[in-house]
Amino acid sequence: MIHPNTELLKNELCSPPVGSYAPHVFRAEGIRSHPNAPHGIRRAYSIASLFTAKPYIYKGDRIVGSIRSLWTEVTEEENRTASELAAPFSIRGFLHNGDHFAPDYTTFLTDGIPGTLSRIEASMEAHGDQPDRVEFLESCRIALLALRDRLTAYAEAAEALIGAEGYHSETLYEIKENCLSLCKRPPVTFPEALQLVWMIHNSFVCEGRYAMALGRMDQYLYPYFARDVETGKLTEEEATSLLENVFIKIYERRAYLGGDDVVNIAVGGVKPDGSDATNRLSFCILRAVGNINLPGPNLSARIAPTTPEDFLDECLKVIGTGLGYPALMNDEVNIAALSRYGYAIEDARNYSMVGCIENFITGMQPAWTDGRFDTPRFLEYVFNDGKGYFHPSAGLDTGSVSTITSMGILMERLETQLKAGVKEYVEGFNRANTLPCPEQYTSPFLSLFCKDCIGRGLDINMGGAVYPSVHGAALMGVGTMCDSLAAIEQVIFTDMAATVEELAAALKANFEGHEPLQKALLAAPKYGNNHDFADKYAVWFVDFLSDEFMKYKTRDGGGYYTAMAANVSNIYAGHTIGATPDGRKAGEPLSDAASPTYGRDTRGATATVLSVTKPDYTKVACGTVINQKYSPSMFSDGKRDKLRALIRVYFGRGGQEMQINATSTEVLRDAMDHPEKYPDLVVRVSGFSAHYITLARDVQLDILSRTQQE
Amino acid sequence: MSALNVSDIQHFSVGDGPGIRTTVFFKGCNLRCPWCHNPETISREPVALTYLRTNKTITYGRAVTVNEVVNEVMEDLDFYRQSGGGVTISGGEPLLQANGVAALGKALREKGVSVILDTAGCIPWSHFEAVLPFVDTVFFDWKTSDPVCMKERIGGDLPLIKDNLTRLLRRGTDVHIRIPLIPGINADTASVAAMAADLREAGAKTVALLPFHRLAVGKYDAMGLVYPFRDTPPLPADAVSRAAKMLASDFTVSIEK
Repeated sequence: MIHPNTELLKNELCSPPVGSYAPHVFRAEGIRSHPNAPHGIRRAYSIASLFTAKPYIYKGDRIVGSIRSLWTEVTEEENRTASELAAPFSIRGFLHNGDHFAPDYTTFLTDGIPGTLSRIEASMEAHGDQPDRVEFLESCRIALLALRDRLTAYAEAAEALIGAEGYHSETLYEIKENCLSLCKRPPVTFPEALQLVWMIHNSFVCEGRYAMALGRMDQYLYPYFARDVETGKLTEEEATSLLENVFIKIYERRAYLGGDDVVNIAVGGVKPDGSDATNRLSFCILRAVGNINLPGPNLSARIAPTTPEDFLDECLKVIGTGLGYPALMNDEVNIAALSRYGYAIEDARNYSMVGCIENFITGMQPAWTDGRFDTPRFLEYVFNDGKGYFHPSAGLDTGSVSTITSMGILMERLETQLKAGVKEYVEGFNRANTLPCPEQYTSPFLSLFCKDCIGRGLDINMGGAVYPSVHGAALMGVGTMCDSLAAIEQVIFTDMAATVEELAAALKANFEGHEPLQKALLAAPKYGNNHDFADKYAVWFVDFLSDEFMKYKTRDGGGYYTAMAANVSNIYAGHTIGATPDGRKAGEPLSDAASPTYGRDTRGATATVLSVTKPDYTKVACGTVINQKYSPSMFSDGKRDKLRALIRVYFGRGGQEMQINATSTEVLRDAMDHPEKYPDLVVRVSGFSAHYITLARDVQLDILSRTQQE
Repeated sequence: MSALNVSDIQHFSVGDGPGIRTTVFFKGCNLRCPWCHNPETISREPVALTYLRTNKTITYGRAVTVNEVVNEVMEDLDFYRQSGGGVTISGGEPLLQANGVAALGKALREKGVSVILDTAGCIPWSHFEAVLPFVDTVFFDWKTSDPVCMKERIGGDLPLIKDNLTRLLRRGTDVHIRIPLIPGINADTASVAAMAADLREAGAKTVALLPFHRLAVGKYDAMGLVYPFRDTPPLPADAVSRAAKMLASDFTVSIEK
């Protein structure tokens, strides 16, 4: 049962704010108010004026903080001047470590605003002889005080609304008390702690940051939850209801600006000391996400061998609603993968996810970046003298096709192409990543939530973070590559049914006039059926590419991770890739994420699991996406146990991630024909969920084509 | 050792007994249940099904050695162990190949894998005797207690089936009686009462009801046949619960879906 306030809130989100979304107008105000201050300080004031824009409290709010403050009536003239003025003060985007970050809420909740302020002041004193650092710390202080002012403004707004039509006076009073207390001391109660976290998170959104994670909520909020429950102040139902009130507001962004936010929340897993971390709050978070049934809170469940069975069962119940949340993460594999990059073990164990599935050392490194690396392109280079069939990019000329006389020679040339591709990718990213000068783009507010920016007096992107920035390269098309290589080995070098020149000609002609060869290629063994003949290429794929990326460093000396994920880019990448030796025709999607090509894993769910657990995912530090689709009946009492057993085996054998759609093919098909009947149908897309009817048709078709198990 | 005539091996079977199982469907059946869910298993000869929607052809029926079957089902050992599952031998009527079933059961037993035999029981007792040492549980279908219906519509021998069930229960075999609840065959109250009487006499303690569904339509289409039950609506929930209630006074009843 959803709390009536949350139901009310859901309705209120249907009426968008009036005026235009104009954060730059507010930023400009702060910039203008300190014309002679240094750039970094003016940046802080530009944030401060965003935070102190007029508060907005929903009738259904129990926890406050809204982006509606940033809508205003503005003249065209002011709109333009403010835009120009604010541009150099804007935040950096995804390519420049600007968003996709999991804040260190633990420290902030412990210290509260006053404690954090004291830490800043102490650090200013310690760095008295380093004016740059003192100035940076001053900008942090301004940003922090702006957060405090924001809370004060909300308290005042709540008080002013008491007695207003449609508002509950008691709730407003609680809001006021919570906000005022947080200005004066660290949070004590669960509602206070949750209020502080939400106000901070919403402030990031006001700054324009996207995919900011809420991280391990069941860990950093637990002390407050446990104390309140123990003293009888709070029930689990009440905690769940407050969480719903928060999670539903993540949807503000889509409601008003379009485009889902992807706010990752990690529950379960192990604690930094290695003991199991699952607690009663983990269950409340699961239920709250399930109850609100909206895309936005991108829930990830960390599953360790010690994770209680009833928790995994609860995860499956929520997945079974069709929502696709939570994604299930293998804690052991993720921690082992992160450990390869030299993090202290307790920091690796305290990882959380940002964005879709990206593993992140919580609150200790600059915000995340990643990119896509579509691999079948390189096979094209091998078969087409270093050129693509359609796309303009080029690889190396590794020699005439006629000289490929064995699988060994083919693999050697492919590896040469890939090596060059990896180098090109890394150089390209490092160049782009360093282009805007970090000094011009300090992030004083973000830095408050990253160890050890305050202590060092340095910005998060200028050496303040404990660990350097990392980058994830998402390797796309493992299924396509694996099936292609297996088909070549089978048809060309084993059965000798065609020559390699014939194959090259067939690929170039998109199989037109070469249908028998295409048929033979399609009949070769495919990834996902527990046949080593094909599966060995997936093992090679992960080993070779991860080892290759691991050789490189980011601008500040951090690691290059790989990801086995594609985030629906496999569909678009496929548009520019010609026919592939697995029988796929030009323009068709590449295989999705780490999954076998849809519809080709035909030996049942167990064989799929046995195949996809063959690669060594402890080399895939960013994370993996395996999309699976199960019929809704698999989530019924009795059958759910079997699914749970399957997942335990999958993780036991080294699988890294699994996300499950539980919506039947019939429903998906019907929703494409009659979208009006399915306004609330949420499905798992890739590393996130979304309303099905809002997805592009080719994405809908891709989801539809997923192999339905049982 | 002669080869087994197998229709299909289905991994991740979740409706054929406890846990995650692999079901080995044997080819050939001596009954002709008009509602049959696995029509491709009836004939001993290979049958090609072309599914209309995907235009994909799959041939059911191949000769395989016991070793080949064992190797294939052992791929999923981890899943059996984790879930308390195993192998289900079904069909068709697997006991038409009793020696093959016995050899397969023996090999799986030696590897510590649980074996369920799914039979309609219309077979000489000697066939049961050959396999019982190697199976843990018998799923025994009870289709009707009307000898005329059994003879004329299904083509079976009710006294023989009843005698086999009685013997199994007497010797203490773990038997799960499963009643496919079929409209127009056995779902009316008189039929249920008659089945209850027979099962009581045989000494049964538990029964499971499997309400009729039309999922087999696609297979009949793919075989170019008309499913006699194609227009039969699913059983209303109250008909299922009525049957369950009637049986509940004598047996522990479960409903499988």
